[in-house]
Amino acid sequence: MQNSISHDSDARYRGLLEAAPDAMVVVNGTGEIVLLNLQAESRLGYRRDELVGQKITTIIPEGFAERLLADGTRSAATALAQQIGTGIELSALRKDGSAFPIEIMLSPLESDDGILVTAAIRDITVRKAAEQHLVQTEARYRGLLEAAPDAMVVVDEGGEIVLVNAQAEKQFRYRRDELLGKTITSIIPQGFAERLAADAQRSAEDAMAQQIGTGIELTACRKDGSEFPIEIMLSPLRNDEEVLVTAAIRDISARKLAEVQLQLKIDELSRSNEELAHFADIASHDLQEPLRMVSSYTQLLARRYKGKLDSDADEFIEFAVDGASRMQRLIQDLLIYSRVGTKGKELLDTSSERAFQLAVGNLGGVIADSGALVTNDPLPDVCADEIQLIQLFQNLVANAIKYQKPGVPTVHVSAARGPENKWMFSVKDNGLGIEPHYFERIFGMFQRLHKREEFSGTGIGLAICKKIVERHGSTISVASQVGEGSTFSFGLAASTQT
Amino acid sequence: MPTEVLLVEDSPGDVRLTQEAFREANIAIKLHVAEDGVEAMEFLRREGVHADAPRPDLILLDLNLPRMDGREVLALIKADDKLKSIPTVILTTSEAEADIVKSYHLQANCYLSKPVELEVFEGLVKSINEFWLTRAKLPKVWQIT
Repeated sequence: MQNSISHDSDARYRGLLEAAPDAMVVVNGTGEIVLLNLQAESRLGYRRDELVGQKITTIIPEGFAERLLADGTRSAATALAQQIGTGIELSALRKDGSAFPIEIMLSPLESDDGILVTAAIRDITVRKAAEQHLVQTEARYRGLLEAAPDAMVVVDEGGEIVLVNAQAEKQFRYRRDELLGKTITSIIPQGFAERLAADAQRSAEDAMAQQIGTGIELTACRKDGSEFPIEIMLSPLRNDEEVLVTAAIRDISARKLAEVQLQLKIDELSRSNEELAHFADIASHDLQEPLRMVSSYTQLLARRYKGKLDSDADEFIEFAVDGASRMQRLIQDLLIYSRVGTKGKELLDTSSERAFQLAVGNLGGVIADSGALVTNDPLPDVCADEIQLIQLFQNLVANAIKYQKPGVPTVHVSAARGPENKWMFSVKDNGLGIEPHYFERIFGMFQRLHKREEFSGTGIGLAICKKIVERHGSTISVASQVGEGSTFSFGLAASTQT
Repeated sequence: MPTEVLLVEDSPGDVRLTQEAFREANIAIKLHVAEDGVEAMEFLRREGVHADAPRPDLILLDLNLPRMDGREVLALIKADDKLKSIPTVILTTSEAEADIVKSYHLQANCYLSKPVELEVFEGLVKSINEFWLTRAKLPKVWQIT
């Protein structure tokens, strides 16, 4: 019976109830509501008289009975000591049927009618929403973490691992629960703390802006103790209580291995290049020695015994002398060719005009003998090895004069501004010209387009030109029309002064 | 008194070639040959079979020799008061800058590269004869007083 509480105590108790900040409902032993405060009316949307006498399950459909039972097993004192903040979470039902989350704390109340239970009911909608938001944010963050291609490890200020993704499990070969709570030094023994300290000096924006590609390289340790190289990028993650650090950890074993292999290849290549250059030097020098003997003694033979033996002997000796001297030229040219690469000087600001004039000077005899007209436009300063530039002009001009048709040979050298801060040089002649399908071939080693009786030479002159131009970071090409002449073109970097 | 030249050269082909070239240049020259550095020093110091060797007016020294190479021979000659005044001409196939620098550092009187062409070589031998054995004034008395 709801009115069986004595009048005095009822009034006093009612006053207390009304003063409480939470909704308060008093329930008797059979689960009927005997008393409620104003807070309870407004929270639940009932008038007081609508609720009094109703079962508590009308407003708290589930859990209250079980709660009661549980609390019933404890002493009143223990129940009273229970703080509402640690109360159980249930769901309450308003008159309009809508539900809202609550937290309730129960305390027993001795009365004439036996034990009554006072339930303090707190609406925790706002807190729940906040919690929900937090859970969602965390879920989103976790989603991001899992989606990352790298191993991600979140560490708190004490260096303890608080969050990892599946990649981290895979990379370090730990189960997630084995990693959580471990200190970061168990998977990254060295450098992480220092890295963290360094990063702390920067603003969060700077840290965020840092690309993983530029991250620092450290060594990581798997569960089985094996080590592997990593690159890590750290970014701070602030929440209300503390600063967490998210570490993106990339296994760079493959890259490291590739780097090592690349370096090995580079070493191997430069070693074999060096050997090759060395080989060409040694071969041409050492080949020259016995050849000098063959050549000298066949010449001595020719000189002393020509006409004293029979005509066959004279012819044989002549072939031997010719063969030896041609081989000598080949070896010398080969040596020049190999030394373009090995004995080249630094590329410096050089007057191409001066180099050209020196080349023309060196060719004085050839030019005079052929009656050739060698002219030039003003030529610019370029970045070159002067000795090689002289050689280049010399070979091209000599070639132009050599492959001539009857008439006055003319050779004209000019330069025009080209792309990429280069000068494009042209050496133009009015000679025999070259058929287009030979354009490539003429720059090869020992390539000759004519019979030996027509034109002498080893056929290495243009190969040397090509190598010189390539050493200067450019290319050489030819344009030609048979019977009209040829134009050889090559680029050279402009002088740094201009 | 004939002109005495010591040729220190291990290649028989080169020895013969040099003999032929000197024969063309100056028949009066007596060319002695040492095949390596050790023999060259024995000749110069008149040791063993070379007890009666003449003091050469000129030494033609190859650099790359068996047993004791030309650089050592040159160093020994130029450190020896009795020998240092003999003009010592390096005649070698090496064109390496390091060899040239080293030779002059060791007081070689002249450094010559053996030309590849026979005619050029003959011309060089003529020049040696003309300059070192004809025009250059060499000491007649070598004993330090």
